[in-house]
Amino acid sequence: MFGIYKIPFQTDAGGITVSVEVEGETSTYRRVAPGETLTKRLGYREGRVIINPVEPVNLPSEVTGMLEFHFTPVTLRPSSRIPVCLKFPVEIGVFVGAAENYTLLDVFSLARPKYSLYGTPENGFITRHVECEVFESAPPTDPLKEGVLFLAIRNSGRDWVEVSRAVFDVSALRIFHGRMVAISGEMEVFSRLVAETRVLDLPPEEGMKQSLRVFPTKRLLIPEKQPFMMEYGVGE
Amino acid sequence: MAFESLRIEIIGNVTLFDLIVFAISVLAAAIIAKVVAIYLKKSLSDRIQPKEMDFLIRIIQAAIVIIGIYLALPSFDINLADMLVVGGTMGLVIAFASQRIVSNFGSGLFLIAERPMKPGDSVNIGAVSGTVEEIRVLSTIIKTHEGVYVRVPNEKIFTSEITNFVANVARRFEYTIGISYQSDAARAIRIIKSLLDDHPFVLRHPAPSVFVDTLSDSSVNLRVFIWAPSRVWWSVRTEMLWAIKKALDAEGIEIPFPQRVITFARDKEGSSRCDTPGDGAAYGRP
Repeated sequence: MFGIYKIPFQTDAGGITVSVEVEGETSTYRRVAPGETLTKRLGYREGRVIINPVEPVNLPSEVTGMLEFHFTPVTLRPSSRIPVCLKFPVEIGVFVGAAENYTLLDVFSLARPKYSLYGTPENGFITRHVECEVFESAPPTDPLKEGVLFLAIRNSGRDWVEVSRAVFDVSALRIFHGRMVAISGEMEVFSRLVAETRVLDLPPEEGMKQSLRVFPTKRLLIPEKQPFMMEYGVGE
Repeated sequence: MAFESLRIEIIGNVTLFDLIVFAISVLAAAIIAKVVAIYLKKSLSDRIQPKEMDFLIRIIQAAIVIIGIYLALPSFDINLADMLVVGGTMGLVIAFASQRIVSNFGSGLFLIAERPMKPGDSVNIGAVSGTVEEIRVLSTIIKTHEGVYVRVPNEKIFTSEITNFVANVARRFEYTIGISYQSDAARAIRIIKSLLDDHPFVLRHPAPSVFVDTLSDSSVNLRVFIWAPSRVWWSVRTEMLWAIKKALDAEGIEIPFPQRVITFARDKEGSSRCDTPGDGAAYGRP
């Protein structure tokens, strides 16, 4: 389903149908997903539509720009580094436009969203909550439902540390898609309380395409902030 | 002849020509500020939040007008150093003459520096409750929940208790839900927890809490504590209450009316009892 389409078109996959039908000088966008249908009238009959995975913080409405992974605890000894893979829910974005000028038309997902709080109500962050297992290598996934975060965790502290949380600022998130949906990230742990996370601009596999993002199309003036400093702990 | 009349000094060394130049400069600056504001609105409206946009435009407009006035001042042949001295003295005089205004101004500066609230926040200040529309140097504009415009002097705000309902990123709210004594409280708790788990904006951490709180006259009271993002807490609160009611109904768990068991003395031997609904009024056959 992910790719670039020229109006008019129809694509079906995993119980989802996305189409744009031309009617005279205008066209109609229609998305049918399990339990939900969306129809929008477009004031043009030509152009391109891009469908790709986007930052999973848009549904049911945008309340945060933070993504929190809560995973099976991983214990690291001092000055060690371990690569892990975590699954995350995919949100699919539909963009419409021409040349380099695209605007978001629709976002939908087959995953059920859940939000959480990282830190305190006064100074913490609302986060999109992802609860997941830890995998040594990329687990099999349905790209329409789940993606894989390739996370390298490094313990720069002097003590052993147990890590079960990683929080990312999605304003700098780069999502890649190919045979799977993927993000590459790093986490440097300084202590049980403090760590730094960053997302990388590198596809975890050769030949993957970078997704068009929702955040830059909405907030071009806000500078990308990275890395993100986790100050409220890396464990339970 | 007409040109000569422009050279006539009106106030001190200031001629009519100087005044016209000054007025044109300030007017030009105001027009430029207006044009810039329109341009900024057109080009940045989809990239900046409306409140931030208003703030940005005000700063830019003020800067343009100040620059315009500064550029026009030489037409008066005014020494800026002298003006500062005169301005300072005048400022003191005006400050003494208008203490309330100065007090409001000072309070406004402290409010802007302390930032107990910002435009868009839902607040309660003294007897006024609503959404902050704008924080000005002398007053703050509140739009009440009924949509009424209220201007509150900053001095009053500064000395009042301010409750900001959205200052924190998350907030807690609660329900008390009474179920009948015949209903299974453990099952009711399971149903409510399952609903809370399904709602995206009922936060996973801090986790919601559901427990038997009191054994009251007519019902077993369950207490439900829920944390939600401050931006959406009201919609979550209204959605969840009805969802809980419907789910409990669907599972046959009764939310009872107030009840009172009345035993009449004459019927004690026959152990006649009458369970009555309503607000305590007794209905029965003596």
